[in-house]
Amino acid sequence: MSMNRRDFVRAGVLTGAGLAATVGAVLKDRLSTETSDPKGPGTARSLKVLSDVPEQANEDVLVRMQRELVRAMAKPVEQRRWIMVIDTRKCVGCHACTIGCVAENKLPPGVVYRPVVTEEFGEFPNVSLRFTPRPCMQCDAPPCVPVCPVHATWKRPDGVVAIDYDKCIGCRYCLTACPYGARTSDFGEYYTDGAAEGTPDGDARPTLGPHAAWEDQPSHEYCKHWDRTGHKSPMGNARKCHFCLHRLEVGQLPMCATTCIGRATYFGDNNDPDSLVTELVTKHNVQTLLPHKGTRPRVFYIV
Amino acid sequence: MSMSSSAALWAPLSGNALRRLITVGWILLLLAGLVGLVQRLAQGHLPAGYGSYVPWGLWVALYFHGVGIAGGVFVIGALGFLLDWPAFRRPAVLRTVIVLCLAAIAPAFMGVWLDLGHMERAARIFTSPSFTSMMAFNAWMYAAFVVIAVLSWVLSYRADSGWLKPLLCLGIFFSVLFPSQSGAFFGVVDAKAYWHSALLPVVFLTSALTAGGATLLAVVAIISATGARGEWIGDDEAVNAIRRLRVITIVGLVLYFAFEFAEFSISLWNPVSHAPAVDLVLFGPYWWVFWIVHLLLGGLLPLALFSLGGPRAWSAAALLVAVCFVSARLNVLVPGQAVGEIHGLQEAFQHERLNYIYHATAMEYLVGSLLVAMGIGLFVLGRRISIAVASRSSTVA
Repeated sequence: MSMNRRDFVRAGVLTGAGLAATVGAVLKDRLSTETSDPKGPGTARSLKVLSDVPEQANEDVLVRMQRELVRAMAKPVEQRRWIMVIDTRKCVGCHACTIGCVAENKLPPGVVYRPVVTEEFGEFPNVSLRFTPRPCMQCDAPPCVPVCPVHATWKRPDGVVAIDYDKCIGCRYCLTACPYGARTSDFGEYYTDGAAEGTPDGDARPTLGPHAAWEDQPSHEYCKHWDRTGHKSPMGNARKCHFCLHRLEVGQLPMCATTCIGRATYFGDNNDPDSLVTELVTKHNVQTLLPHKGTRPRVFYIV
Repeated sequence: MSMSSSAALWAPLSGNALRRLITVGWILLLLAGLVGLVQRLAQGHLPAGYGSYVPWGLWVALYFHGVGIAGGVFVIGALGFLLDWPAFRRPAVLRTVIVLCLAAIAPAFMGVWLDLGHMERAARIFTSPSFTSMMAFNAWMYAAFVVIAVLSWVLSYRADSGWLKPLLCLGIFFSVLFPSQSGAFFGVVDAKAYWHSALLPVVFLTSALTAGGATLLAVVAIISATGARGEWIGDDEAVNAIRRLRVITIVGLVLYFAFEFAEFSISLWNPVSHAPAVDLVLFGPYWWVFWIVHLLLGGLLPLALFSLGGPRAWSAAALLVAVCFVSARLNVLVPGQAVGEIHGLQEAFQHERLNYIYHATAMEYLVGSLLVAMGIGLFVLGRRISIAVASRSSTVA
C-alpha cells in the first residue's frame, strides 16, 4: 500500500465531508414537512351556490353534499378534510364517473383518473359482480410524494395530493410508487390522430389528418389553464385525480360524484361532523383499499 | 513479445482486422442509433412501448447497467492504483479506467434523459432537488462522482499531487454507494413487492462489480489485441491485469447468482407476494431472457470459459458478461412493474399504455444502440485525449 499517513487523513476528511453532506441533505428534506400552499382566512371562499334555493326535507344527496361543500369552502383550507365515500353496493358499473372525469379534465388516450374495476365471483349460476371505482386515494401517507425528485407533488393542507405540472419532469417514479396504479402518464396521444378525413367534394380518397381541434381544448385542473399544444404540460407529465379541485373552488362537486347515476359516490368535508360523508364513515364499517400498505387512504368503500 | 503476437494472444483476428471490425460495428450502431434519436425527438414517446403501468423499459435498464459498469470499473481500477496492483499502478492506466467510467456513465445519463417526459426540465433535479427521493439522491451522487472522476483524471497528470489518492478514496466510496443506491432506488418502492427487498442494493452492487470487472477485462483485451495499448508496458502486465480481473469477475458472478438464488428460492419455496414476478421472470413470455441470456450466456458459459480456457476465452467470457448482464437489470426492472396490486385494473380502462405487458419497440432498441455507440465513441475519444495530453506533459509519471 503506497498511501502515507497524510493521504489517509485527507481521504478520511474528504470521505467524512461527503458522508456528512449526504446525510445533511437527506435529513433536511426528511424533516421538513411545510409546503408553500397558502393557508389561513385568505383561502376561505364565500360562495353563493344554492344560496337562493331554500333547503327542503329529503333533498337529493347531491344537493345536500353541495350545500356542505359551500359550507366547507367558507373555512380556511387547512380546516377542510376532503374525503370520498364509495358505496359499492350501489355502483352498477356504468362507468359514467370514468367518462365524466375524462370529459371534465380533457384526458387524452391512455390517461385515466377513475377507472371502475370489475370483478366476477362464483360460478354460474351462482355468480356476482363487484364494481370498484378507483380514484386517487389522496393518501395521508402518500408513497408518491417522497419519491418525486423535484418537489413537483405534495400533500395540500386540505389533504389532496397535488401535482405541479410546470415542475414535473416526467420521470414517472411516482407512477411506480403508487400501489393503486392511480397515476398515469400523458404520453401525448390524441384520440383522432391519424383519423380519416373526407374531402370537400367527396371524390378524392380520404386522407389521414391531424387530430381534431376539440382535442386541443385546455383543461382547468388545479384552477389553471393547461394547453397541451406544442408538448406543453400536462403532456409529458404524471397525472392523477385531484378531487376536481377546480370545481370545488366554485362550489361544484367532483365530476364523478355529479355523474354517478346510482348516487354511489359521496364527497365532502370529514371535519364537518354534520356532513354526509362523516355520517357514512361513522355509521358503516367502511374499508380502504390495500390497508396493509400503510398509505392511509381518504377514499372509503362501503361494501 | 511483439504487438502482432500479442494480438494473436487475445483475439482470433489480427489487430488491424479487429480494429476495422469494431469501427464498422460502431458506425452501424451509430447510424441505427441516430435513426432512433430522430424518431424519439420528432415523435416523442409515442413510438415507445412503455406505458403507465410499466413506466420504465429498456432505456432505464441500460441506464442502470451503464452506471453499474461505471461504479464497478472505478472501484476496481482505483483500488488497483491505490494498492499498487501490477498494471494498475500506472497513472496512464488509471486515466483509461476513469475514461471508461465516464464513457459508461454518460450514455446512461443520455438514456434516462431521453426517457423523461420533459427533457428540458432535467436540470430541476439539481436546482430544486428533493432528497427524500432516491432518484434525486442518485443524480447528485452521480454528479459528484463525475466531478471526482474528472478531477482524478486531471490530478493523475501530476505525479507529485498529494490529493490524487485521497480523491480516489472518496471516488471509491461514491462508486460503492451509487450502484447500491440503484438497488435502493427500487427497494424503497413498497408498491412493488418484487422490488421491496433489502437484498436489492447488495445485488446491484455485486452486479456492478461483476459487470465492471468484465468490462474492464474486455477493454484490456481489446486494447491489447488492437495494438493500441499505450499504457500497458508489457504483455506480462496485461496478463496480470486480466488474471486479476478474471478472478474478480468469477467471484462476482458466483456471488450474484447466489444472491439471486436466495431471492428466488424463498418465493418459490413459500410463495409470497413477489412470487408472481418471479414466475414472470422464470416462466413468463420473456423466460429466455433469464434462462438463455442471463443464466446461460451471462453466467454459465462465461464461468466455463473462465475456468477452462486461456486469455482468449477469458476475453470472450468477459464480453459476454458485460453485454448479457443488462438482462439482470431488465429482470429486476420489468417483472417488478408487470404485477399490479389491484386485480382487474388493466381491464378496467383499456388502452395499450394501460397494461402490464411491456415489449421494447424498434425505436427503443435503436436508441439503445445509440447509447452503446456513444459509450464506445466516448471511450475511444477520451483515451486519445488522455494519451495526447500525456504526450505533451512533462510531468507524467
